[in-house]
Amino acid sequence: MLDFLFSGWGAFWVTMGMLLPFAGMFWYVIHRKSVPYSGPSNTPPAAMSRIEGFWLTAVFVISVALNLASLKFMPIIATAHAAAGGVPVQKIEFTATSWSYDMSSRQVEAGKPVLFSGRAKDTQHGFAVYHPDGRMLFTMLMMPGVSKPTSVVHTFTEPGTYKIRCLEYCGVAHHAMKDELIVVKNKDAT
Amino acid sequence: MTIATAIIRGTPVFGRMFSVDKSTGLEEINAWPALMIMASFIWLAVAGLLGVAMPATQMFDLDSGHFYTALTLHGAALAFPFSFQLMIGVGLHRSGGCVGKPITGWLPALCFITMNLGAALLTVAVLMGFKVSLVVMFPLPLVGAQMGIWSMNSVIVGFTGIYLVLACMILLYPLLGLSMLFFGKKRRDLVLSERSLNDPGMLGMTLAALTLLISGLPLVAVGTALLLALYGVIPMSMAAWAAEPVVFQYVFYTFAHNLMESMALMVSSALYATLPLYLADGTRKLYSDKLANAALWILLLTSVTSGLHHFITSYPAQPAMLSYWGNAMSWATGIGAALSIFTILATIWQHGLRAEPGIIAALMGWALYILDGVSAMVTSNVAWAYVLHGTMWQSGHTMTVILAMSLMWMGVLYHHYPVITGRKLDPVLGSWFVRLFAVGGFGSAIVMLAGGSAGMPRRFADWNQEGWMAYGNLIMIFGLILGASFVVYAYNLLQSRQLSDAVGQRVGAT
Repeated sequence: MLDFLFSGWGAFWVTMGMLLPFAGMFWYVIHRKSVPYSGPSNTPPAAMSRIEGFWLTAVFVISVALNLASLKFMPIIATAHAAAGGVPVQKIEFTATSWSYDMSSRQVEAGKPVLFSGRAKDTQHGFAVYHPDGRMLFTMLMMPGVSKPTSVVHTFTEPGTYKIRCLEYCGVAHHAMKDELIVVKNKDAT
Repeated sequence: MTIATAIIRGTPVFGRMFSVDKSTGLEEINAWPALMIMASFIWLAVAGLLGVAMPATQMFDLDSGHFYTALTLHGAALAFPFSFQLMIGVGLHRSGGCVGKPITGWLPALCFITMNLGAALLTVAVLMGFKVSLVVMFPLPLVGAQMGIWSMNSVIVGFTGIYLVLACMILLYPLLGLSMLFFGKKRRDLVLSERSLNDPGMLGMTLAALTLLISGLPLVAVGTALLLALYGVIPMSMAAWAAEPVVFQYVFYTFAHNLMESMALMVSSALYATLPLYLADGTRKLYSDKLANAALWILLLTSVTSGLHHFITSYPAQPAMLSYWGNAMSWATGIGAALSIFTILATIWQHGLRAEPGIIAALMGWALYILDGVSAMVTSNVAWAYVLHGTMWQSGHTMTVILAMSLMWMGVLYHHYPVITGRKLDPVLGSWFVRLFAVGGFGSAIVMLAGGSAGMPRRFADWNQEGWMAYGNLIMIFGLILGASFVVYAYNLLQSRQLSDAVGQRVGAT
């Protein structure tokens, strides 16, 4: 459930889930107070205050709950842990130059964390990894001239051919800047 | 007759829409705003055609260079000379009428010239091959010239254009707004609706002007150094600090992010100022001024630093703490928005609403802005940023915030139009404009967010790679509906009728 929530489509449905109550209230208030009857309301101030309190509390609680739930899915946390030597990782180092990637390896094993570590040589570039079914798993932004390479740790769960794309506009052949990553079965798995 | 009035009079088609009514004695607050609004609609026509051209180039499999040309020009024309200039025009007219001061002299003229000359120069540069997108993507402009993709001359022309536009937005407009608020003598004959700085509408305008000025000054410093080096006035080594990609990106996004937030503050304040005028019981009061002011202050304080969410996926180049801060502040803007939502809906609920097209357009734009705000909060969460950054989600967010603000200002313009021109708009056409805009705006926003969820990249000239063309086709359809709404709006302006003498003097005056 949470895995889906913090995917691309999860973001879409959360957005719609937050929008729809607002849209419902918006339509109801505008319709009720302008079309059938535009006169003033006799709702007592105390009732309005209660609604105000309920509304603000609900917004606050939902915001805090969603952000707390997202902690487990923040790649920064896993990446910092891996960088501190907390977990053994496979490493892929790469350099992005208009309009290709120079990668230390194009093959990794499923089930083992992979540390992607990359730099941009000329202008800004992206490094987005797509699952074979088309979902984007994660993206990275590289700026030239920074001291530390952009890093992400990701564990692939399924073998297959994963596409890599640049998602930072980098000139007239930006759409052609792509590569592939082969994820093979874990050799340790029996 | 002022120069502005003369230019409007001499402009074919668009001039007919905005010819200034001189019979009311309000030409001093009408002329320059009317000229800016007219120019913004000319840029809208350009931006609209280029917007449709983007999916069209992909549908008909045209050269990808055309896509990136349309992408750069569409974004730039929509955001700056259309949306921002429309806001300047309507906002200045409102300020002039609220504080009773004329909008004359060199400052409004310079505002108009820098914005439109700058946008024209950028257009020329893009036609010369300078395809860098709306956000410049520094150091792409210099890298492209080094690689021979475009010429250094196009970089110089493009940077000059961008610099002029920024000078208008960061320096001239805020100075004009602040000088009207704090300096000069009030003239009773120009006061249409007296307001003080305690009024939520005026407070929002002031906060927005100050935010633009303060958040934009570092970008002015960087831009000045780069431009002087490009023109050879100083050696490139003296501008090396400004040409650091990290320096440029952070000062650019500090401004660009706060530009959008300032525009949001302005439209919120415009709604706070306009909504009370359409309350059915005639009270002209918001549900709570305190709540409205609190919403503006929370939005201001949280949004200033929330722009750090732009660089979340560059970790560890941007330290984790700054990303968490950007995440937290972005979601805190939601508290300000929640207060704003409650204030607006409670005001309507308590006092009833006269549902005229102008106020309904402004409210519909505000609803679109809420959708945009939610999408911005979601993508600012660190976890979601990693699966959404660089996708069509971001394009949907940027386009929606611009559309939302444009719809709100176009709604507010309905209110100001009779004062400026002495003519009346057709409410039936007005209603059709709102309906079409709402369908086109919400439809294209939701499709772009869905495309982003599916991993569809933004600023990408090959939507066929993973079957993303289906989203492209839907964007095209909703884009055409949006285009139809603008045509209806323009037709309404063109065929507006003269007000009768009995009500002509101050109809629409607030």
